[in-house]
Amino acid sequence: MNRNGEDRIELMAPAGGFDSMQAALDAGADSIYFGVEQLNMRAKSSINFTLEDLEEIAQRCGEKNVRTYLTLNTIIYDHDLSIIKTLLNRAKEAGITAVIASDQAVIHYAKTIGVEVHISTQLNITNIETVKFYSLFADTMVLSRELSLGQVKKIADAIKKEHVVGPAGNLIELEIFGHGALCMAVSGKCYMSLHTQNSSANRGACVQNCRRKYKVIDIEDGHELEIDNEYIMSPKDLCTLNFLDQVIDTGVKVLKIEGRARAPEYVARVIGTYKEAIDAYYEGEFNQERVKTWMGQLETVYNRGFWSGYYLGQEMGEWSDKPGSLATQKKVYLGKGVHYFSKAKIAHFKIESQTVKVGDEILITGPTTGVVEFKLPPFRIDDKEATKAERGDDITFELDQIIRPSDKLYKMVDA
Amino acid sequence: MVIITQQRDKCIGCNYCVELAYDRWRMSKKDGKATLIGGVNRKGFYTVKVREDELEENIKAAEACPVKIIHVKHI
Repeated sequence: MNRNGEDRIELMAPAGGFDSMQAALDAGADSIYFGVEQLNMRAKSSINFTLEDLEEIAQRCGEKNVRTYLTLNTIIYDHDLSIIKTLLNRAKEAGITAVIASDQAVIHYAKTIGVEVHISTQLNITNIETVKFYSLFADTMVLSRELSLGQVKKIADAIKKEHVVGPAGNLIELEIFGHGALCMAVSGKCYMSLHTQNSSANRGACVQNCRRKYKVIDIEDGHELEIDNEYIMSPKDLCTLNFLDQVIDTGVKVLKIEGRARAPEYVARVIGTYKEAIDAYYEGEFNQERVKTWMGQLETVYNRGFWSGYYLGQEMGEWSDKPGSLATQKKVYLGKGVHYFSKAKIAHFKIESQTVKVGDEILITGPTTGVVEFKLPPFRIDDKEATKAERGDDITFELDQIIRPSDKLYKMVDA
Repeated sequence: MVIITQQRDKCIGCNYCVELAYDRWRMSKKDGKATLIGGVNRKGFYTVKVREDELEENIKAAEACPVKIIHVKHI
């Protein structure tokens, strides 16, 4: 169900911080998921919220009728049991919609105090009997990323046919990953980072050393295996946009976008694009021409190249052939917000680095502002008209959106 | 003398320091993070001075820490 209460697939956005959260709200997400403190799968890589942020998250999302999901899905040890209870109690008080859990300790406690449970992909659900088992505790379940769309549809059909309901009394809703990073391990259950760097992926501390180049050497005779593509453990990013119609047709209810460690403009662009595609599907306007435009939009932000994951039943994975991102654009830091003259609708920024000229593609990000993108209109330096500004200049220009001192100003350039 | 420092807020509660240097570290039941026994908090950095005999095990703890928030200085 979307944020307007219509029976449409729910678009779920990653929120690594308030800036990404605001970007997701503005781009049309129906729900967001986020981590608090250390017990989530991005404990190391994203900033994460604190307990004190829960109320603000619930309030800012609640105003837009956007659901909020707390990720609490790492491996859990005995010494974590107390903080789990604290987190879940506080989430309940703050009015967070549900918890995304994998460990039975979290599932059990959440159920005990009446917090809605969603089963994390970490539990690797691949069949209807497992769905029935977890339906005793959870209303929504994320399926394994390694299923084909045919297998997903079979599970979705069986839920209806066998009337499998969750604790809330409604049919179980299925969720799948729609876009973002994939890893070579089944449902992320990888020990490579732990074995090589002592940093457990399953405690949210993956160092992503699978994304590097490797050689394979036979120790006995010293022969190097010839591997055309040396990034043999780094899959391309998942993208379902070009067959989103088939995804929705399976009966899946929630489409999750990966990327809590990604920048706010990534969230804005990816959520905005998927939102357009979902709207087009329900309006009967999902076609290849539009898919081409959407794919172009997605390519501008961080990606390792795209593939369709296992959904279309490929026999082999597709591996990335370059380190890092293939994004066609990158951002360059220019400066920070100073003041917004709300009556005159004038934004004031201090340029701290690089140069900027009229017509440059500008990006503003901030915890309250979210993401604002536009072409730089004619601007002023010290109240004189100017076409080019450099480090040290104070620039002012007309802008409808309010900006704040916590905002950062960037220009987008070709990568 | 040995000075041990911990940037506590970044701890992910993996328990390695407790395994390797049990006399100096405990997992907090309150927030699931490692607590440096005897540590004094200054702006989020906990510091304690200890005897030389604790050096070796705390170096091991610092090396094992996945988020590299433990620093051991031998002076």
